[in-house]
Amino acid sequence: MTEAVFRESTAEPRTQSVPLAHLSVELGHLYMEDFEAGPERLREHFAEVRVWVDAVRASVDRRTKRPRISTCFLVDDYFSRFSTPAELIPMVLKEAERAGLVIDYLARESACAVADRIELAESVMHRLVESPPPGSYGSRPPVSRTGWLANGQRTPWTPRSALGEIKGWEPPRETAARNHSVFMDVELWSEKDGRRLWSCPFLAAVWQLARLGLLRHLGEPVLVPTSWAGEDFPHDWDRLPPLTRLTDTKAAFSAYRTCTLMPNRFLAVEDAVRLILDQIDVDAGALDQVATRSAGEGMPVPAAVAQRATYVFYEEPGGASAAEEA
Amino acid sequence: MPSPSGPPTHSVLVCGEVRTCLLPSLQALDGRAAAQLLRLRADDHVRVSERPTMYALSPEVLTGVDCGLPAANGAKVRAVGTVAVRGALTEGRLLQSTAYVSLPAAGPDVRRPWGQYLVRPGLVEPLGKLPRQAVAEGVLRGAGRGELDLGMIAEGLLAQLRRHALLDRRVPFKSSPTRLRWVARREPEGGRASLVNFTVAEGGLRAMELLLPADVPAAAAAGLCEDLALHDWLLTTTQYMLDNSRLGAADGPSVVEVLHPVVVHLLHLWMPRAHVDPALGHLWDVLEDRPGFSRQWENLGRRIRDRLALQAVPRPYEALSRR
Amino acid sequence: MLIFAASDKGGAGRTVTSANLAYHRAMAGDDVCYLDFDFGSPTAATVFEVADAREATDGRGLHAYLIGEVGEPAWIDVWAKTEHPVLRNPPPGCGRLVLMPGDVSGGEFATSDDNLRHCVDLLMKLYYEYDLVVVDLSAGRSYAVDMALEATAQPEMREITARWLVFHRWTHKHVAAAASLAFGVRGIIAGGVARGHDEEALRGAIRFVRAAVPDPESPLWSQVSPTQSAWMRKTDGDLRQLASAQGVGYSQVLGSVPLEPVLQWREQLITAEDVVDSQIANQETWQALSRLAGRLTDDKYWEQA
Repeated sequence: MTEAVFRESTAEPRTQSVPLAHLSVELGHLYMEDFEAGPERLREHFAEVRVWVDAVRASVDRRTKRPRISTCFLVDDYFSRFSTPAELIPMVLKEAERAGLVIDYLARESACAVADRIELAESVMHRLVESPPPGSYGSRPPVSRTGWLANGQRTPWTPRSALGEIKGWEPPRETAARNHSVFMDVELWSEKDGRRLWSCPFLAAVWQLARLGLLRHLGEPVLVPTSWAGEDFPHDWDRLPPLTRLTDTKAAFSAYRTCTLMPNRFLAVEDAVRLILDQIDVDAGALDQVATRSAGEGMPVPAAVAQRATYVFYEEPGGASAAEEA
Repeated sequence: MPSPSGPPTHSVLVCGEVRTCLLPSLQALDGRAAAQLLRLRADDHVRVSERPTMYALSPEVLTGVDCGLPAANGAKVRAVGTVAVRGALTEGRLLQSTAYVSLPAAGPDVRRPWGQYLVRPGLVEPLGKLPRQAVAEGVLRGAGRGELDLGMIAEGLLAQLRRHALLDRRVPFKSSPTRLRWVARREPEGGRASLVNFTVAEGGLRAMELLLPADVPAAAAAGLCEDLALHDWLLTTTQYMLDNSRLGAADGPSVVEVLHPVVVHLLHLWMPRAHVDPALGHLWDVLEDRPGFSRQWENLGRRIRDRLALQAVPRPYEALSRR
Repeated sequence: MLIFAASDKGGAGRTVTSANLAYHRAMAGDDVCYLDFDFGSPTAATVFEVADAREATDGRGLHAYLIGEVGEPAWIDVWAKTEHPVLRNPPPGCGRLVLMPGDVSGGEFATSDDNLRHCVDLLMKLYYEYDLVVVDLSAGRSYAVDMALEATAQPEMREITARWLVFHRWTHKHVAAAASLAFGVRGIIAGGVARGHDEEALRGAIRFVRAAVPDPESPLWSQVSPTQSAWMRKTDGDLRQLASAQGVGYSQVLGSVPLEPVLQWREQLITAEDVVDSQIANQETWQALSRLAGRLTDDKYWEQA
């Protein structure tokens, strides 16, 4: 077959590749209540995290001689706004440093919803492909209409026909159940006054995809890190780039695998994240690039995206849970 | 598309269904509007091609299925995987949606974790062995209740597109949609694709069988089927409008009223194999030879122009009566 | 155009009359689709005499489609499948006549979001395909009426011309009930407005059809006694007054169909043969149906009174 002479660029889109590290380690995720608990809480957090980070590094060292590991930190500016970058970031960096940790990249949680005017969460929502419970032949209402995503079949609710058969309660069923079900149903967003509020697990799923180098917008990379050149950080979160590079690290933000270190109260959220990741049809071009390059480096990634994310759930630093209860 | 991870899976059968209808919009859409209509995913490209005809193709989206396959011999085969669905708009006027799947000769005995199916888009694996011939016949015959229903999936996308806020939801004339069911049996790599048959059934139903070498992507076969379905729709629709035997009768609709939309909206759409993969373009030759798709189209076009031309000439008795 | 056929109660001649209207329009060259939304007791297949074909579609009809069990409702090409010998040979130039049957095993069911979406999708699709779509709705304040009102109130369907026929018999009880169905509490207009319809527009899209109307002047009654005759005239007059008072008077009536034994007893399509050759049906009935069929799309009869 001879090469075609005539080409139209709009008819042959391409997917750009992004630089990839071996591992992206998330050192923490800061919410308002953590901030309000004061610097001691952060100090405790980083001291605990430090132990596990060493273990995680050792695990990468086992697979490669020249590990490329980047670290990141996420600040919630989506569900609640508190403090300012100028006040908060130096404090976070100071406490990390005290524990011997370096934060390479800092991201704002709202960037998982919209970054650089690109609606990342919306795009990911369009890519949800629900795991079909047995008996699905193409008639189920798509999740985009319900806003909920499950790991199986919900308790059936069918409007009964007049004089139709009366059925008793039926249990929900996990599709991949072994003998017994662990059924989970995850709310992806809620609507209030016509505005959509993405749920924490859904934004966290977008965050994982970004860290795994699997997000594109029309073939272009998204959430590209920006170096902060100025002296002081801004006084408004909106003036801070969605993803800021804080060091001159050579390790890229995105990586073949991710490891997230967090207190064990986030277990349910992260379980929901895995449920979501398991049902996303990610950009085939990006998926292919990551697979090819990781295999080329002798550390091939698992086929299923959710398997590439690992976690360390540690015990909440002392006093934190007590503070919450109070 | 090569599967990015996991063992490569060789399909032995590709099946699909194409639905073709008039876009419910008084004006044909331009390239930009077409791209907007077909942007099924905010972050993915709509392929837009302006030459030789304006043609826009949506990204493929997936529908997960876990159900029985239609099988002509009644065999019960459960299969799991994803069906690929896509929409296409030609000259901003004819809307199509295609749902299609590739099927391997055999699959694991139990269902895999879902994430493993997602990385093989458009592949539906049987649990156990695939009775290829029976399933091919079953797909052409149509799905029974609860069986994999490609038509339903294609129709779902079509309904979604017809609801798009961009459209004024008015049609320049009434017309019937058509359905083309197709199956392609995979042949060894390097062979030449061939068309086994193309059947016109009643109620707008068409059936088609192909032989497809292993190196030709399933999407290319879907593209060929869309092209054939589009041209078959043009023939069917135009023929039906011309066959309205009350055309021009005293109490019937006027010739201009009925044929004007054909001239404005349809006559220029005939462009066989314009966007067909070069590896499959030759399959058109068979249909051009017999029954002669283009020959019939030229004939229809001539008839329409003649009838319209006659309108401009006073009829003999009218001319006489004016003296 | 969409025509919704409603009636205050069963036995108002809704199905048999609207089926005859569909038949007349198809004979006149329109492509017509008839939807049996009488979920409780789908009988349109009997009127079109396609009972065998319908049997073959049971479980795949409109009911199964609306509740999402099948992707598309089954349909029957009446000319091809009918057991009626005359209908089997439609004259050249006639349009298509398609029946989408209900499911016998179905039943009335409440409207859910999914049902509604299926309903809108179907009506839109048929609207693009057919010149006339007739939807036969279950009698009274039924879920079918509910769904039709809800569907046509959706933004997707705003552009579409939908008209409502309320069928009723020519008795005190039926006249009052028809008026109540249209204008009363939880009636078509009240229900429509609650679902987002414009009251004036909806009011303007409703017309009444009087079915099985005995004509006191008809030769049928020429043998009755003068007392009976006088009584009939008086009752007819009273009914007219009642109808007028209830808002279903002359200006709101699209037409009347005379009392016709063939419609009453056989509940089938009246063909030209029945009128001309075998003469079992009355010429007047044929003409009344033909007039009514024409008026469905004649804007003159749908202007605000």
